[in-house]
Amino acid sequence: MHPVLRLVNRNITISINPGFLIWQIIFPLIYIFVAGFAYTSLIDDVPFENTKLDYPTYLATGMIGFNIMNSTLISGIIIWNDRRHGMFEQIMAGPFTRTDYILSNICTIGIVGMLSAAIIAFVGYPIFFDSIEFSAFTLPILIFASIFGSILFGSIASIISTRLRSSEGFNVIINTVFLFFAFVSTAFYPVSGTPEPLATAFYINPLTYLVDIIRAGFFGTFSNFIITEMFVLIILAVGLFSIATRLLTRLDF
Amino acid sequence: MDRGSDRIVSCIVTNLLSKSYDNVIAVDGIDLDVKSGQVFGFLGPNGAGKSTTIKLLTTLVQPTSGSVTILGINAIKHPLKVRNRIGVVLQQPSYEPTLTVEKSLEKYGMMWNVDRKQRKDKVEELIESFDLQEIRKKKNEDLSIGQRRRVQVAREFMHEMELLFLDEPTIGLDPSARRKLLDFLKNKVKTGLTIFYTTHVLTEAEYLCDKIAIINKGKIIAVDSPDELKNRFGNEKTIKIHMAGIQQNLLKLLSGIQDCKIDFNSGTNITINSNKSELVLMQVLQLLNKNNIIIEDLSAMPTNLEEIFIKAVNDSNASSS
Ligand SMILES: Nc1ncnc2c1ncn2[C@@H]1O[C@H](COP(=O)(O)OP(=O)(O)OP(=O)(O)O)[C@@H](O)[C@H]1O
Ligand SMILES: [Mg+2]
Repeated sequence: MHPVLRLVNRNITISINPGFLIWQIIFPLIYIFVAGFAYTSLIDDVPFENTKLDYPTYLATGMIGFNIMNSTLISGIIIWNDRRHGMFEQIMAGPFTRTDYILSNICTIGIVGMLSAAIIAFVGYPIFFDSIEFSAFTLPILIFASIFGSILFGSIASIISTRLRSSEGFNVIINTVFLFFAFVSTAFYPVSGTPEPLATAFYINPLTYLVDIIRAGFFGTFSNFIITEMFVLIILAVGLFSIATRLLTRLDF
Repeated sequence: MDRGSDRIVSCIVTNLLSKSYDNVIAVDGIDLDVKSGQVFGFLGPNGAGKSTTIKLLTTLVQPTSGSVTILGINAIKHPLKVRNRIGVVLQQPSYEPTLTVEKSLEKYGMMWNVDRKQRKDKVEELIESFDLQEIRKKKNEDLSIGQRRRVQVAREFMHEMELLFLDEPTIGLDPSARRKLLDFLKNKVKTGLTIFYTTHVLTEAEYLCDKIAIINKGKIIAVDSPDELKNRFGNEKTIKIHMAGIQQNLLKLLSGIQDCKIDFNSGTNITINSNKSELVLMQVLQLLNKNNIIIEDLSAMPTNLEEIFIKAVNDSNASSS
């Protein structure tokens, strides 16, 4: 087996635990069903590109992006735990390179992100069944979003974890950053109707791009703007990934 | 480097190997030549540069200058090739907190690409050899420090290797676990493994090592077999005399004796360190006899590695300051 795959195998073994599964799967599902339907009475149909979506549909698709972002937390947690429990050093003294290590983290995120996105999509399917416009692009777009979303947010989590030695610091910072991404984005509510400084803030947030792309895949609403967003996502992911790699390479023992 | 055509006899060769951190010179131009099939002991006081040397030899850190050849491979140019053929137990603990002991051994074997069947057998064999039966289902985070260390050392034997680095592997182990580990290592050496071993426990080094290097302040101050080191540094002996009562004027009485260092701790004990211990002892006994001082107990200690170690380090500190 390739070294990266061996590390992915190990990463998945150590990160799958009941707490993580609840956070990763149960929480978003509860959120979609409870919040989605509770808010329907408050929120009318949501305009999206040139269609209108009902709120549970809008939210369920947003949750897929949110979930991809959340699953990247495991990359930060793996790096952070490995350093704390001496496994980073031990692995680096073994038959692996630092690039193997980072790639394996990104792959782990990709797998967990895609799986949890698939579960949300599967369970959420009855909700947004009506509005879905399957096309030849749907699946490739979802895979594209999972991969680049994982790389992007995984790199952010990795960067934070290489900078911090204490678990409290790591948790506070990563939760603050991800909370900001989650709520200042189009995952939960549309940009239209949002007051101005916030509306612009939505678009300096990569989660907005990710969620827009996922919705475009589901509802067949492609536009030049979505294509631009895809490019931005690629550039951000590649840029942050190379920063994360560099920081991890410089870590001293 | 011509590899393959002739058998490698030197497993580790370094040339003026140095490593500096900011303004600390952790390792200062060391030359090592470790032959295959031996246990090479690496001794030195805290902060001497032992762990840094191990990190240099295992390619974890890059040297500031000098060269490292491991198993005939240039370790600076081809670190991964080196790492594929060695094993390392670092001084720092390392473990997967949420995995059970047996699962973490198994996963470690998987990480080293050991096939499934072989992994299973190895796990059983190591659980047996390292006395892990009782804790095999326990999670690593719930183990005691010594148990965790035992698992860490056992884990490294999940994969094959030609050269093993052990950085104080016995810290935290009880005497019987310690002895068991040393015997396990001795057996592995018989099957062709070479071991680079650091420790502070000198009896351990004496029991296990074919060759010993002493490092102080980043420099190697002695390399030899334990016996040779004893010959070189160890003609000084220690004699202890215990007397029946407190002797007030002992210091004055013994002050005329040459070539020795005499300590009185409580007034009832004399400790003599000397190169000419037989001669000194005769003089002391005569003096005590003449003054009717009764001796209750007398013991001569054979030179051990610990004294050699302390002497070598002290000598080197004295000559460098
Ligand atoms: N990452 C680092 N950054 C700065 N200084 C370091 C670093 N690692 C080691 N040193 C310094 O290098 C010197 C040698 O340290 P090293 O850990 O090799 O000692 P050691 O012989 O293993 O000691 P011990 O017996 O306590 O384990 C020490 O002065 C230490 O402070
Ligand atoms: Mg050390």
